[in-house]
Amino acid sequence: MKLYDYILSPSCYKVRLMAALTCVKLDIRPVDFHPGAEHRGPELMALNPAGSIPILEDADLILTESSAMLVYLAARAAPEWLGSGAAEETARVQQWLSFSNRLTASLGGARLHEMLLRPGDITALQAQGIAALRELEAGLVEQGLRGMRFLASDRPTVADIACFPYVALAPDGGVSLAPYPAIRLWSRALRSLENFIEMPGIHRLHELKPDPHIEPDGA
Amino acid sequence: MLPDTTGSWTPVALSADLPAGTVMPAWTPAGSNALWRSDSGRTAASADRCPHRGMRLSHGFVRGEALSCIYHGWSYARAGNCLRIPAHPGLAPPETIRVATQRVEESDGLIWVAVGEPAAAPPRLEGLVPLRSLTAHASVAALETAAGATAGPEGIVWKVQASQTIRLLLAAQEDDQTLIHVLLRDNSSPAQRIAASRAAETLRRAAEALQAKGIAP
Ligand SMILES: N[C@H](CCC(=O)N[C@@H](CS)C(=O)NCC(=O)O)C(=O)O
Ligand code: FES
Repeated sequence: MKLYDYILSPSCYKVRLMAALTCVKLDIRPVDFHPGAEHRGPELMALNPAGSIPILEDADLILTESSAMLVYLAARAAPEWLGSGAAEETARVQQWLSFSNRLTASLGGARLHEMLLRPGDITALQAQGIAALRELEAGLVEQGLRGMRFLASDRPTVADIACFPYVALAPDGGVSLAPYPAIRLWSRALRSLENFIEMPGIHRLHELKPDPHIEPDGA
Repeated sequence: MLPDTTGSWTPVALSADLPAGTVMPAWTPAGSNALWRSDSGRTAASADRCPHRGMRLSHGFVRGEALSCIYHGWSYARAGNCLRIPAHPGLAPPETIRVATQRVEESDGLIWVAVGEPAAAPPRLEGLVPLRSLTAHASVAALETAAGATAGPEGIVWKVQASQTIRLLLAAQEDDQTLIHVLLRDNSSPAQRIAASRAAETLRRAAEALQAKGIAP
């Protein structure tokens, strides 16, 4: 399974993270997204005319939407990540998978604006990002009142992985995460999962790392 | 909130939102704090600035009974003294390296941080349980107008629906924002709790609309 990947892309990280959590080995094909804009070049446009990454290729299956990639990995390797199949839970998984596109547009747009100086109305992007974070926070509060720690269930599903990266990187786009206690606890729960992997700006819980008792001088 | 002659208490968070071994940012009129709870369950609040190079300690992490800075790992005790400098493992940090701390009290599921030296304890909220905290981009005055009530020392009582009232504790934040803690009767059903959470969002929308239109006093 080949992933056209860029290390700083939160959408690509979703797929790498899902693969790590479900113990699937990916064949990583690095893309020069910035500054090369390789995703808009002829080779990648032939795979994905939309000109975005990630792209996941498995024999003649070509996927260009990260949510579909998460579902594919889970269905093949670890179906428990799709939820129990109960009607309400299935609907909640779909609800948050669709919602994750709004995080990409708002928080992701603000981050591209701030980090890569992409044009855009930063005030509007940040306001949309805050509106989306508030929805996520309210959803997690209500799940907590139902006795569940994750977006669709009491265990993590593809829905959590689809929403997590752009939320965790919101500060890169100038959007604070301080006002969201339920999101803070949810992020901790995800960052402490077994086989969790990091990306620049998103770290495993430091508490779970070995205590750096002996470090070289000069820090 | 709750001024007395020497100080006051600000409700900063729900106990449930600060589990053992975690840290979060908390603002009071005295400044930004790193609010944390040690592995053994003890709470503490320190100024949110590492004495080493100024990193926010609320971005740090808790190990055992100490708060560590994310940047170079200097760690601090609940009393604010520096316990360890990882780059100099053999050195006992001098007493002069310390973060300012504030008093913290926890009761009825809420965490309060002192501003100054309040003489009395924070108010008790018996018979109520905290539901959630949320932040409004609106002043206390705009929230009072939206709720049609005035905040006393124990917050405001707001009628959600004919049969249900909730209590809101309001804590003014920077930039005309307000931290709202929602409390309700401890015998509320799960459906009433979800209704109260949604009602608090409705009130926030109303207050933010007033604020945006400049209608709030
Ligand atoms: N198809 C969506 C889009 C993901 C997305 O927005 N990817 C960004 C990189 S993080 C991208 O390729 N943007 C195109 C560009 O900015 O030129 C997905 O898979 O979730
Ligand atoms: S800034 Fe905190 S340890 Fe260096």
